[in-house]
Amino acid sequence: MLTTYNSTCIYCGAETTGAHFCPECKRIQPLASGTDYFAFLGLTKRLQIGEAALEKQFYALSRQFHPDYFMNASDEERQASLDRSAMLNAAYRTLRDPVQRAKYLLTLEGYKEAEKKAPPDLLEEVFELNMQIEELNAAKKMGDADEIAEARTSLDETLTNLNDKLTELDGKQAMLFSEWDAAIDADTLEEKQKTILDRLSELMSHRSYIRSLVREIKEEI
Amino acid sequence: MPMIELSLTGRPKSGRVVGIDLGTTNSLVAYMDGDTPKVISSDADKPLVPSIVYYDEAERRLLIGEEAREKLITEPRKAIYSVKRFMGKGANDVQEDLRLVPFQIAAGSEQVIRFQMGDKQFTPPEISAFILRDLKERASKFFGEEVTRAVITVPAYFNDAQRQATKDAGHLAGLEVLRIVNEPTAASLAYGIDKRKEGIVAVYDLGGGTFDISILKLKDGIFEVLATNGDTHLGGDDIDNRLIAFVLDEIEKQTGKRVEQDLSNFQAVRKAVIAAKHALSESETTTIAIRFQNGTDFRQELTRTAFELLIADTVERTMQPCKQALKDADLSADEIDEVVMVGGSTRIPLVRNRVKELFKREPHTELNPDEVVALGAAIQADILAGGSRDLLLLDVTPLSLGIETMGGVVTKLIHRNTTIPTSAAEQFTTWVDNQTGIDIHVLQGEREMVDDCRSLARFSLKGIAPQPAGLPRIEVRFMIDANGILTVSAKDLRTGQQQSIEVKPSYGLNDEQIEKMLMDSYEFAEEDIRKRQVIEARNEAETMLRASEKALAERAKELIDADEQAAIQTAVDELKAAMSGEDHQLIRDRLKHLDEVSHHLAELMMNSAVSSALKNRDVAEVAEQGK
Repeated sequence: MLTTYNSTCIYCGAETTGAHFCPECKRIQPLASGTDYFAFLGLTKRLQIGEAALEKQFYALSRQFHPDYFMNASDEERQASLDRSAMLNAAYRTLRDPVQRAKYLLTLEGYKEAEKKAPPDLLEEVFELNMQIEELNAAKKMGDADEIAEARTSLDETLTNLNDKLTELDGKQAMLFSEWDAAIDADTLEEKQKTILDRLSELMSHRSYIRSLVREIKEEI
Repeated sequence: MPMIELSLTGRPKSGRVVGIDLGTTNSLVAYMDGDTPKVISSDADKPLVPSIVYYDEAERRLLIGEEAREKLITEPRKAIYSVKRFMGKGANDVQEDLRLVPFQIAAGSEQVIRFQMGDKQFTPPEISAFILRDLKERASKFFGEEVTRAVITVPAYFNDAQRQATKDAGHLAGLEVLRIVNEPTAASLAYGIDKRKEGIVAVYDLGGGTFDISILKLKDGIFEVLATNGDTHLGGDDIDNRLIAFVLDEIEKQTGKRVEQDLSNFQAVRKAVIAAKHALSESETTTIAIRFQNGTDFRQELTRTAFELLIADTVERTMQPCKQALKDADLSADEIDEVVMVGGSTRIPLVRNRVKELFKREPHTELNPDEVVALGAAIQADILAGGSRDLLLLDVTPLSLGIETMGGVVTKLIHRNTTIPTSAAEQFTTWVDNQTGIDIHVLQGEREMVDDCRSLARFSLKGIAPQPAGLPRIEVRFMIDANGILTVSAKDLRTGQQQSIEVKPSYGLNDEQIEKMLMDSYEFAEEDIRKRQVIEARNEAETMLRASEKALAERAKELIDADEQAAIQTAVDELKAAMSGEDHQLIRDRLKHLDEVSHHLAELMMNSAVSSALKNRDVAEVAEQGK
């Protein structure tokens, strides 16, 4: 995605190169459309972000942008303060969560929102799960307490398996994150980068799928 | 005259910004004395103003606070209390409340409640404005200069309409409301300011009518709200109602009679149970003693244990919001470092015990629970006035915001507990060919269906150029500002132009109604408000006069004929005459007249200024000439 910004200060005309504040007259600049969260926070598009450092940056920028400090400023500056604060809050909310962060990077790189897709090694489990849910519903209809308990127990087991699978995906995700960062740092070929993103996109589809299964089971239980 | 308006600057304002806690039961105003927030007390040295307004029909005047309280028993229909519970609501929302209070509402209360007080009707923002005006007067007197700017607190769980109603009340009271601050957040400021606290703090705020729980992270002077929850219809009033019902039943047992049909009796009972409630925070047992208007007496012993049994489920209702807030903050109870108690109802031992059990630690009760919110508001006021930059509040929106989509389903655009300011954009298009308008229904709440959420407003996008269905692309941007109040803007993505948008709030007052109320309120306004109206009009007239006289003297002869010059001169003289009087409307009328008759001259001067500029003259010079 192309990052656009006003390259000159709208007040004094000085060169700003997209900075939040004009280096000359120090006034807050209006927010241009298309700014991405990484650039906004002054970060490269790395996926491994330290929570503490990100929070520090969030607090520091909050202290610069917050509408509290623009009560007597012009309408334009107040609007810029509001827009930049809203953008900062959205950027922090998105980037502090690893899954949201990965999804956001994929969107930036032109990937469509990951569809839910069953991991191949899980197909059998899913088939089994549907049976278990049917059994539970049948047992509920019959009002047979033993059958209900039995069906619940097997659903619980499946739930544990799925949660294990999610933990496994977390591990894979961490590895992909570090691979991506290494690729970015080394400025590797776009092709190499794309294969990492393809794998990340697939991982996100699997994760979404499993998470919706987990939700479904929790509702049934 | 256009160029004159350009040079108009705002009148000098008093630098003071005060903090106001507009409470269900009591209200108060505070300010920053150096580094220390302080409450401003009345002449009688009382910090609290009871949030009660009485309308004296015979004398056509209003009584506020203590004076109004005395009328509760003698004139129950004309003394309004707990008005906060009616803010931002319609008649349908308050049917239950109306059974528990003696006031009547008038017809036409669907979008905003209208209390019938004798021959007058007042809306909740007006009643609140009377209280605010009293506090404003108190502060102005204290400083010896007119206070016109304030921060006002609201329950964190207030929705958009309730916040807007509070802002409207400030406006009606002649206050510029710089910020609407959430009460528990304000309290956390007052709690954290001198202790330089760090860590996770839970603020449990049980007031007269509302309950909030907020969980904050305090770090490096940043007060970041992680989650908030609450119930805007849960507080001391509900405890009072329990006790009232209990006593009325007891009276029936003893005398065989229901006494509450007589509103004076009802108020006598209410007064007695409130006294008993207060007593039971200190002692284990008390006596409810009532002397009715007809001279009969009622006495009833009440132990703390019996009291706690009566109110246990009311107190219990605060527990679920606490658990939800913890869950939303992704924290367990033992990760909370401190619990701060706010609101008069936290004096009740049962409340303290339940909170202690839930959070597994002794809550802080050393702060005055009645004052801490106002003190925090004063700190925030100081920040906004440009004072301290050490502290910064990062608050959240308490409720999810969404729009109605097909089948009456709400699609969420902004989730609860999102840090504010925050915005969301959504694209809209047309369904049928040549459709020129689109209606958007905005709601607040956590449920899936429209009927289960709170309707905020309907926005109509108008004047869309006729095109085949699906072709127009209108982007609507929903912005929740630092007050937690929504604004909506729309842009036509094809032309890049702002799209006109008409707002129909579901509840509350529109601008026209507020203006009318401002006018109507002069009847009751303190003298200073009338004076300010005159002064404002005079100031504007003065600026206009200076420019007009300058124009007449220097430019008129070359640009306009004698008749026109004479007309302007007459208008100038008439305006001067009006300015020596006290009728601000007359000043405004004549000001408008002068503006009209001098419009042509102004245009000519503007044109000549522009053509001078084109003759290679410096722009600044032209602007200078325009002054």
